[in-house]
Amino acid sequence: MIQVMNGFDWRRWRLVLTGGTIIGIILICAIFAPWIAPYSPYDLDVVAMLQPPSAAHPLGTDELGRDILSRIIHAARISMQVAFIAASVGLVFGTLIGVVAAYFGGIVDLVLMRLMELLFSFPAILLAVVLMASLGTSILNAMIAIGIVFIPGFSRLARAATVVVLREQYVESARAIGMGHGRIVFREILPNILAPLLVEAAVAFSYAILLESALSFLGLGAQPPEPSWGNMLNTGRGFMAQAPWLSIVPGAAIFLSVLGFNLIGDGLRDLLDPHMKE
Amino acid sequence: MVRLITTRLGAFLLTLFAASVVLFLTINVLPGSAAKSALGMEATPQAIARFEAQRGLDRPLAVQYGQWLFKTLQGDFGVSFQNSVPVGPELMRRVPVTLQLASFAFVIANLVAIPLGMLAAARHGRRADKATTFTATLFGAVPNFWLATLLILVLSLNLRWLPSGGFTPFSVDPVQNLKQILMPALSLGIVSSALLIRIMRASMIETLSSEYIRTAHAKGATEAVVIRRHAFRNSLIPYLNVAAVEFGFLFGSAVVIEDIFRLPGVGSLVLVGIINRDYPVLLAAALTITLFVLVVNLIVDLTVGLLDPRRVKGSRA
Repeated sequence: MIQVMNGFDWRRWRLVLTGGTIIGIILICAIFAPWIAPYSPYDLDVVAMLQPPSAAHPLGTDELGRDILSRIIHAARISMQVAFIAASVGLVFGTLIGVVAAYFGGIVDLVLMRLMELLFSFPAILLAVVLMASLGTSILNAMIAIGIVFIPGFSRLARAATVVVLREQYVESARAIGMGHGRIVFREILPNILAPLLVEAAVAFSYAILLESALSFLGLGAQPPEPSWGNMLNTGRGFMAQAPWLSIVPGAAIFLSVLGFNLIGDGLRDLLDPHMKE
Repeated sequence: MVRLITTRLGAFLLTLFAASVVLFLTINVLPGSAAKSALGMEATPQAIARFEAQRGLDRPLAVQYGQWLFKTLQGDFGVSFQNSVPVGPELMRRVPVTLQLASFAFVIANLVAIPLGMLAAARHGRRADKATTFTATLFGAVPNFWLATLLILVLSLNLRWLPSGGFTPFSVDPVQNLKQILMPALSLGIVSSALLIRIMRASMIETLSSEYIRTAHAKGATEAVVIRRHAFRNSLIPYLNVAAVEFGFLFGSAVVIEDIFRLPGVGSLVLVGIINRDYPVLLAAALTITLFVLVVNLIVDLTVGLLDPRRVKGSRA
């Protein structure tokens, strides 16, 4: 097959590669935003208000004459930061709780997992909205709130994976030779439960982008004039008849980044467990 | 069966109680004084102290929670800090709106997911399967609030087929009600169908590879009969479990969608409560949405328990 070149099966990796390309482009925009963006995302231009896409402004301008392309590029920074930090908060705390619950079992397991089930019973967006109201509206708080929303999912997954690993001989051997709890967890358990957690992290990235956009859309996340795809979309709603690009472009950016992370997640899942595809 | 119902009901009540504690604690540490929000930024310290004393906000949190729980159990959700109107009747007016929205969205999600999932499974590995999986991937990446905006742009502003927002009760004008609820329900339902298509497909593929399906084929049953009478029913149990979670998700998403379409539901009441720092309103609205989710989960738990012969056997043992 042409697709299998030098032992590399492109077909098996195509989802990861497609998603990776999309996310790679967005990441480059996020990292190099000040150099890539043609204009400042904050500069007002009263003579260029609500201009449709043109050579000077490829994605048009907003109600204050700001360049949409520049704001979209800068907003990628916020989305990627939120996604990375929120998913990391969920991954670290969720894994810790899941591993501790499975490792110690008994009452520790019961209490921790009931608590996680309780958090799981709240719809994610409701929990995020209530937490944002409680923490206050800022992008840092959005990261924390979204991270908290992710903890139950990661903890369930980490617990399930740890229960399986605990039955393995190498863990029993580690216990038999008197290895401490910390070393068993960090050296024997964590490396062996990492794969499913990383797949979940890819999904968490996409969901974090969605949640952050939803929070900013509702006015609870990034605050203007800070550009965020969510608050840009919200602003665009007020000008849908005159300037539809204000609503279309930020939404398309959210859609593409979520799609990219979902493709990576799906691809990794298929690669790690081909039966899942069935 | 009695044991199954008692266990599930007990777990439901415990979770509801714990959820109320979590929401109460989270909401009562809201920054920004509720008194200032209700009385204005110019309110004197004396007026603020009087406001807080009148509403019991100066008491310890445990006492406040106990009083709130006692009243709530009697159906009294307190009085809005903002306009001194009882929260209960306002909530009751809004519950049907959110229930209608979530139910319509759920029906749309299933109408999309079940046939597409079945089609993909029946044509496993072929073009129809790939097209369906791709569609599900696209649906899953669309933010529902963007889809809502696009629908308004196309169906409302350009084609002028549907109103861009508002709500008329079904009892007042059924046609207008359906017109107003269609776009919000589509925005939620299409996005929700993404996961359900995948679950239906996966569940159906697994069922179709079972021994009894091969036996049915061997007995001469047609593909349509096998799928409709055998595979579909058995694929429903795992599907229902996920669908219940999605139904809960729809209630949560109502917070955003009701805001976009100016629907006076419980979801938009959550935002009203947050913006006004109106604790009783926010708490009542957030708890009602959580209650919806828990009730749906309870119903599905019981239904799945009753449908699955292994579970029924297990609960009797």
